Amino acid sequence: MLKRIVYMMMCLLKGVFLFSQSASCIKFNPTFGSEKLSADSVYYLNVSDSIKITSLRFYVSNMELLDNNKSVWIDSNPCHLIDAFNEKTLSINIPSNISHSSLKFNLGIDSTTNVSGAMGGDLDPTKGMYWTWLSGYINFKLEGTSNICKTRHNEFQFHLGGYQHPFNSLQTVFIEISSKSTIEINIDLLKIFQQINLAQQHHIMSPEQDAMDFSEKVINSLSIKK
Amino acid sequence: MRKVWSIGIVLFLVLCAFQITKEPLFSVPTNWPKPIYDFSKNPLKSQKVELGRDLFYDPLLSKNNQISCASCHSPFTAFTHVDHDLSHGIEDRIGTRNSPALMNLAWHQSFMWDGSINHLDMQALAPISHPDEMGEKIESVVLKLQRTKNYPALFLKAFGDSIITGQHTLKAISQFMLTLVSSNSKYDSVMRRQAQFTPQQKNGYALFQKNCAACHAEPLFTNLQFENNGLEVDTTLNDYGRMRITKNKSDSLKFKVPTLRNIEFSFPYMHDGRFKTIAAVLKHYTNGVKQSSTLSVHLQKPMILSSNDKVDLTAFLLTLTDKTFLFNSKFGYPKK
Repeated sequence: MLKRIVYMMMCLLKGVFLFSQSASCIKFNPTFGSEKLSADSVYYLNVSDSIKITSLRFYVSNMELLDNNKSVWIDSNPCHLIDAFNEKTLSINIPSNISHSSLKFNLGIDSTTNVSGAMGGDLDPTKGMYWTWLSGYINFKLEGTSNICKTRHNEFQFHLGGYQHPFNSLQTVFIEISSKSTIEINIDLLKIFQQINLAQQHHIMSPEQDAMDFSEKVINSLSIKK
Repeated sequence: MRKVWSIGIVLFLVLCAFQITKEPLFSVPTNWPKPIYDFSKNPLKSQKVELGRDLFYDPLLSKNNQISCASCHSPFTAFTHVDHDLSHGIEDRIGTRNSPALMNLAWHQSFMWDGSINHLDMQALAPISHPDEMGEKIESVVLKLQRTKNYPALFLKAFGDSIITGQHTLKAISQFMLTLVSSNSKYDSVMRRQAQFTPQQKNGYALFQKNCAACHAEPLFTNLQFENNGLEVDTTLNDYGRMRITKNKSDSLKFKVPTLRNIEFSFPYMHDGRFKTIAAVLKHYTNGVKQSSTLSVHLQKPMILSSNDKVDLTAFLLTLTDKTFLFNSKFGYPKK
């Protein structure tokens, strides 16, 4: 009897251990300032200007963990479509048994993938992240409404893409991280809106200089949760 | 025992013969360049080609289930539309460009008059999504296909999966389009030394090589480049072509050079279908070329053609008609 209890305890412990191991992941935390991003919330830029977010979706690709500049893990899945309002897309599993000091990934889809024809999975054009009038993936999509935008239904739409020179908007992110099991990356939309003038800039819909500039602002909004 | 052996050998030979006579789905014609399309990423398979053909002719791909790819790309007119200068879409909407003829697409690097599409697989997305063409979303096309009685089984046969995806839908359409090879015109027979030009056609060929071949390069009869061929801007359309895609002023008024193969059947001509006849096209090149900073280098010097030259040149252009392509039952409306 005692033997059986000990055995069960060991199994349980093993289970806990395994669980903690599989919990190793890279997690994206979309926020507006200090608040968790939600589709139902109204956010304020200042006393009078409000913002609602209806869509935040973006591709991360070619994830790689490095330890002292040496690659220790390359994601076997080359691409993930992150959707701020779909919880299960926010985490990417990583192996737990390796030590690492930095993380590298692309925000967007590289040019080779962009010219390789019809792809499946997260890259299937049915995902709504592909331009149909001009071939290429939309790397980053941010949509919503704000009273500042004097547009139809006060809408703003930022579709960032473009893989060809001179309008390649792909961004490579390199961040130093501590060797924790869960790496949390904040993406703070407030930081993006503080860098632009929403009254004047409310649409980006094609590969252009504005898309490249905006993509840099997106990178500036990323930070590692300490 | 010997009998068994001989029966076995006969059977083997019959099987071999069957294998040999089975026509390949695609082959590179003699003396043609290597195709651009990467077949290793979408290997041709008859079930996929047939599925692609079903999709090509199916109006389900449009928002109101009335317009198919074939509505603007009809097989008997070299897969283009000859009744209109500009393409017609759902609810009688009219587009801004002339539907191009479809053939030999495996050799193309980019698609559409302005090269906006970078891969044959992605080409179908453009007309499917355009509000003035099929006005539908690929997401909805996939949902509609999944709900039909026949398509899940056809996708299963073709791709080993009855769950329909955008990727498989597009790859199947590509497969059918890749098989649309036109390489059996009289011109081709002459090049293969199986026929001879008439003296008139021969003179026309010489004129063609001197005046037209820089852009309409053999054997595809297009150099696949973007050129400004000196057309006056149609102020009802204000279409500046390639510049819209590259946002580069040096691409103003440039359009992709179309093939001249099957030109007899692919009228009207030019990106906006402004010319109904070959004679009108030739008149443009001899008398109508408008000078501008982006005018093709090949049109800088005036083209001089006598009326006899034009007759001969036209006689040559008609040797580019390929009846085995135009009336190939494998390309036509699928048998139900």
